[in-house]
Amino acid sequence: MKMIRAIVRPNKAEEVVESLAEAGYVALTKMDVIGRGKQKGIQVDKIYYDELPKTMILLVTEDENIAPIIDIINESAFTGSFGDGKIFVSPVEEAYTVRTRSKGL
Amino acid sequence: MFNLKEIIAIIRPNKMEKTKEVLSALGFPAMTAHGVMGRGRQKAIIGEVSFYINEQELLKKEGTMRYIPKRLISLVVPDEDVSLVVETIMRINQTGQIGDGKIFVCPINDAIRVRTKESGEEAIL
Repeated sequence: MKMIRAIVRPNKAEEVVESLAEAGYVALTKMDVIGRGKQKGIQVDKIYYDELPKTMILLVTEDENIAPIIDIINESAFTGSFGDGKIFVSPVEEAYTVRTRSKGL
Repeated sequence: MFNLKEIIAIIRPNKMEKTKEVLSALGFPAMTAHGVMGRGRQKAIIGEVSFYINEQELLKKEGTMRYIPKRLISLVVPDEDVSLVVETIMRINQTGQIGDGKIFVCPINDAIRVRTKESGEEAIL
């Protein structure tokens, strides 16, 4: 099992969620976050923004679904400019469903 | 490598108080909480509805509620306490309705307390 954390543009978040749902990955959590990347924020004229609003999409899935999900996010969150975001994949050892108290997704 | 695990639980907001109370009584007062929006396998229909819902049909339907507000809590505990914490969270949050949430257990390589620079288990105890 792996956890995918994707940090994407807020205006692209809906598109990402829609395309994930179309492919059958409907379960996810999203949260508003603030951050910056390698470019250390952005400068517009004389105003310098170093904390940019982003949306973090968090989902946990079986190992074999990782590649298709990453492809979908990569495609739907892409604009080609700096600030499109990052995707992180980290291991999850156990998952429990509270309602049924069962192990697994 | 330290024997630490991160427990990420996504639970109902109204169970938050009780969860905090019981966890701190058990000796795990430290946690981080976020207000998040999310949905599960049922594509965000609220568990509070009392009629029968066909999951497969629902997935095809448009216009269901898109997201449901939840609380995400994350706490880092030593290996041996994982099952206790998971069991506690499950017991408090179980209502039997769809939308009770999920709990994930992830490995953590290291933890550092900023104030004293202690690392590993000392940092979280």
